[in-house]
Amino acid sequence: MWKYEKKLQYPVNIKNRDLNMAKCILTQYGGPAGELAAAWQYLDQRYIMPDDRGKALLTDIGTEELAHVEIISAMLYQLMKGATKEELKRAGLDSHYAQFGKDLFPSDAFGNPFTMTYIKVSGDYIADIESDMGAEQRARATYEHLMDLTDDPDILGPLSFLRQREIIHYQRFKELRDYYLEAKNKVNG
Amino acid sequence: MNNYFNDKMDLPDNFNSMYPNSFSNLNSFGNIGKQDNYVNKNIDMKLANKLKGQAGDNMKFNMCNYNGDTTPNQLYDVYNGFIRGNMFPSLFNQYKLNRPYDIKPMNEQAELLTKVDAYCFAAHEVNLYLDTHPYDRDMINLFKELSNDSNIAVKEYENKYGPLFVDSSETYPWAWNESPWPWEND
Repeated sequence: MWKYEKKLQYPVNIKNRDLNMAKCILTQYGGPAGELAAAWQYLDQRYIMPDDRGKALLTDIGTEELAHVEIISAMLYQLMKGATKEELKRAGLDSHYAQFGKDLFPSDAFGNPFTMTYIKVSGDYIADIESDMGAEQRARATYEHLMDLTDDPDILGPLSFLRQREIIHYQRFKELRDYYLEAKNKVNG
Repeated sequence: MNNYFNDKMDLPDNFNSMYPNSFSNLNSFGNIGKQDNYVNKNIDMKLANKLKGQAGDNMKFNMCNYNGDTTPNQLYDVYNGFIRGNMFPSLFNQYKLNRPYDIKPMNEQAELLTKVDAYCFAAHEVNLYLDTHPYDRDMINLFKELSNDSNIAVKEYENKYGPLFVDSSETYPWAWNESPWPWEND
C-alpha cells in the first residue's frame, strides 16, 4: 500500500507564469517518456521478477516515480496559475482549456492523451529491465530538451533534479540486469 | 542553508574540480584506437568529436558496471546530494547548469522542510543502492543513521508547522487539512 507524505520530494516554487513551458513539460506528465508511464511500467513489472532484489528495486523506483508525477504536476499547476484566456490561446493551450478548464490532464506536449500502451512489459524479466533502462535514458534526454528551452532557475532546478534521478535509476536497473545475467551465465556454464 | 551539512561524511564540495565537464565515456574510444593500431586512432577521434556534445556525453556509461557489493568510496553530504538529486559523486553528471541550484528557503518553515527533504532523500538514495547491494554492511549502517536523522527532522518540523504524515495529526481542530499543500507556493 501507499501512504501520503504532505511534501514534494524536491520543492517547486515557480514565480513566473510560463504557458509555453507548461505545454512542453506536459510530456513528462502524460507523454511516452513521462513519469506516469514510468511509475506504472515498473509497478506492473514487479510481479514476475525472479528474486527479491528485483521486486524491491521495482517497487522502490516505481514509488519514487509517483513522487515525480507530483513534482511535475506541481510545476504545471504553478506555471499555468492565473493564466488569462489570451495567454492560453497564444501558447496553444486553449484546446486544453476547452476540454478540461484549468484542471490537469495527463497528455503529451501535443495534447495527445496519456495511453497505457506507453508501458512496456514483456513477460521476460531481462527484456523488462532493459526496457526500463531505455525508459530512463529517454526520460533523461527529454529533461535535457526541456532544460534547453528555458533559462528560468525556478524551472531548471526541479528539471535538473529529475534528470539526475534518471541517471541513478538507470544505474540501479543496469546493476540488476547485470546481476541476473551473471547468475544466468553461471548456470549455463 | 549550509548549517546542517552532515559532517559525519565530511566531504568537500569540490565536484567541479573532480568532474570538470568530463566526457569520460570517450576515453574508451581513444584506448581502443591505441590498442588496435595507430591508423584507427584518427577515425576514433573523428567519431569522438562527432559524438561530443551529443547524447551519451551526459552520462558516465563506463561507471555503470555492476560492481558486486563494494561500498562506494565517496558520497556527497546530505545537502549537496539533495540539491544534485544524486548522492554518488562517481555517478554525478551536470547538464547545462554550471552548478546545481542551492535551495534558498525564505523562512524558518521552508528551512526546516528543506532539512526534512534532504535527509529523506539521502535515506531513499541509500535504500535504492541497498536494493542491489544487500550485503553492504557500511551502507546499511548509514541507512540507519539517515533514517533516524530524517525522523528527527520530521518531528522538528511537525512540532512547529503541523503534520507531514497523517499519523502526527493529533490536535483540535483537525490539523491535517491545513495549508500549505505541497504544490502551493503563495
